[in-house]
Amino acid sequence: MKAVENGSTSIGIKAKDGVVLAVEKIVNSKLLVPGKNKRIQTIDRHIGVAYSGLLPDGRHFVNRGRDEASTYSNMYKEPVSIPHLMDRLGLYVQNYTCYNSVRPFGVVSIVGGVDANGPHLYMIEPSGTYWGYTGAATGKGRQTAKSELEKLNFEELTVREAVKHAARIIRQAHEDNKDKDYELEITWCSLEETGGQHQFVPEDLLQEAIKFAQEEDDEDDEDEEDTEMAT
Amino acid sequence: MAGLSFDNYQRNQYICAKGHAQPKATSTGTTIVGCKFNGGVVIAADTRATAGNIVADKNCEKLHRLAPRIWCAGAGTAADTEMVTQLIALNLELHGMWNDRQPRVITALTMLKQHLFKYQGHLGAYLICAGVDPTGAHLMSVQAHGSTDIGEYQSLGSGSLAAMAVLETKWKPNMTRDEAVLLCAEAIESGIWNDLGSGSNVDVCVMEVGKDAELLRNYLTPNVRAPKERSYKFPRGTTAILRESIREIVDVEETVIEFNKPEAMEVDA
Amino acid sequence: MNGISVDINHLKKGEVSLGTSIMAVTYKDGVILGADSRTTTGTYIANRVTDKLTQIHDTIYCCRSGSAADTQAVADIVKYYLQMHASQLPPGETPTTKVAASVFQEICYTNKDGLTAGIICAGYDKKNKGSVYSIPIGGSIHQQEYAIAGSGSTFIYGWCDKNYKRDMERDECITFIKTALSEAIKWDGSSGGVVRMVLLTEKGVERLIFYPDEYQA
Repeated sequence: MKAVENGSTSIGIKAKDGVVLAVEKIVNSKLLVPGKNKRIQTIDRHIGVAYSGLLPDGRHFVNRGRDEASTYSNMYKEPVSIPHLMDRLGLYVQNYTCYNSVRPFGVVSIVGGVDANGPHLYMIEPSGTYWGYTGAATGKGRQTAKSELEKLNFEELTVREAVKHAARIIRQAHEDNKDKDYELEITWCSLEETGGQHQFVPEDLLQEAIKFAQEEDDEDDEDEEDTEMAT
Repeated sequence: MAGLSFDNYQRNQYICAKGHAQPKATSTGTTIVGCKFNGGVVIAADTRATAGNIVADKNCEKLHRLAPRIWCAGAGTAADTEMVTQLIALNLELHGMWNDRQPRVITALTMLKQHLFKYQGHLGAYLICAGVDPTGAHLMSVQAHGSTDIGEYQSLGSGSLAAMAVLETKWKPNMTRDEAVLLCAEAIESGIWNDLGSGSNVDVCVMEVGKDAELLRNYLTPNVRAPKERSYKFPRGTTAILRESIREIVDVEETVIEFNKPEAMEVDA
Repeated sequence: MNGISVDINHLKKGEVSLGTSIMAVTYKDGVILGADSRTTTGTYIANRVTDKLTQIHDTIYCCRSGSAADTQAVADIVKYYLQMHASQLPPGETPTTKVAASVFQEICYTNKDGLTAGIICAGYDKKNKGSVYSIPIGGSIHQQEYAIAGSGSTFIYGWCDKNYKRDMERDECITFIKTALSEAIKWDGSSGGVVRMVLLTEKGVERLIFYPDEYQA
């Protein structure tokens, strides 16, 4: 759990027409190429994952998710439903807590996507428990992120708006860790915007979101007390 | 490894195709039937076992017990019906103990069909499976390849055509126990008289809802061997004794071998 | 294998087969499946009142043709798969016909060397209403508005093509199937007995049976 608590912040938002996943990538070296080293992965065309903690564990988790998804669709000839996938992944992660020869997963993963029953957002812990969320956050800045997420009006929110909020929340969650630079990574999945596929948001939308986050931040600095409450 | 070995299957097919005869499995030319009635079910079988054109057993048992109230009539390869029936009886008993319930007929049938399907018809067991369980009386049949049928009346085996002719003409809905027993016995008799593979006696088993199963072994014995009119034994002394000689053909020898007693052990200082 | 070859492309000796006439037709309220009731072992009718319409799930059925043992085994396996699948669905939801047909197809294709099974899978689900999938012997899958299969179907291809209409009324569709199957039974020696039907609609399952004196009239 320690590994997760200090990992970089990841958040997920379930909007009315889809889901948005965002991570804060701390730039550990100036030599790293911006835009490379992607952190959000795709399990199936309609399902994405963001995770905080030990990155290799996260990649192993995603690989297992891909296996489960393809086994399912090979048999039933339709994309796996997200609740069912979570069921399978929950079992898998739980298994790593049962034996002394292995250690539990060092990641908390936020799994989101759109299936035949609409958008879904889940967060799964190293113990194997998972819960359905409208807004999920994990990693170092999760407390800040969670309190910000609680202010969102998920009933009305569209993914396009959610992308901006995601950028803003990641920026706010980064406040306590300001000495390090970070790079923002956002993906989305919605019927209207991406045809039900999990994709990285287009560059212009990402820049727009970053700009929005910056402006909000500046405003907040001007009058600290006047935080808009949207419920 | 338990079970059948198919290692030489292709080779044997090839040898047969070259015109060499294949060893024949012992098959029971048989008539077996089953019939439902109001409040129960009855099955019946003949008692002839054959090996080629030889009658191997004149009074064999073709009704097998799967569970106290589930019985099964078997046709086809004698060894297979016997062994498959014993195996399923065992597994049914275990199943009943695990679940603390009386076994059901459909459970027995499913176990049989899955086992037979697994062996793709190489187990030559053709069975009529009947019984009573908490859900009522049931009558079903299984073929060697694993297919099953459900019906009010069934017949199987080489005499099934003769038996079915009787069932088709005389069966009626809502029969009583006695009517059903009579009908089944008559159907088996038809097999006994008209089918070369069937013969001897009629065995019947009646299963009534809420009662213990009743096995009527040799319910009909239409082929009792009549005692011979005359004795064909030769009276003692028919052959005259001309000469008598008695010889010792075994020499009895006795050899006593005495082992030397061990001398006292030398003990050196 | 050493030039030794075994012909596997026929029914094994003494195997029970469903020389059959089966069909499934979509209509206004859902779908209707129809079948004759004859099961044969060579020239002997092993069962004259067979039920070739097998339930896979609440409102998903299949028509079986080919080897009786093979199709029963496959149907049992698919039934099991669908129970497992249904238990994972949200409360109140049931599997789609497409999923059932896909499982049939997967099993028929992966075991194509060992199976003689021609199956029509039809069902009603809220999303797609009535739908029909045909899974012929090689293990391919075809969605159709109506499907016919089995040895007797060859005689009624033309008639069905000419007389099929979309979105028929209930009685009209029953008559369509009854007439088609009665022709198939008339011309095909290994089809016969009664005509069985299963109607799958929003309301659930309804079974019908027609005796020779009725459908031959």
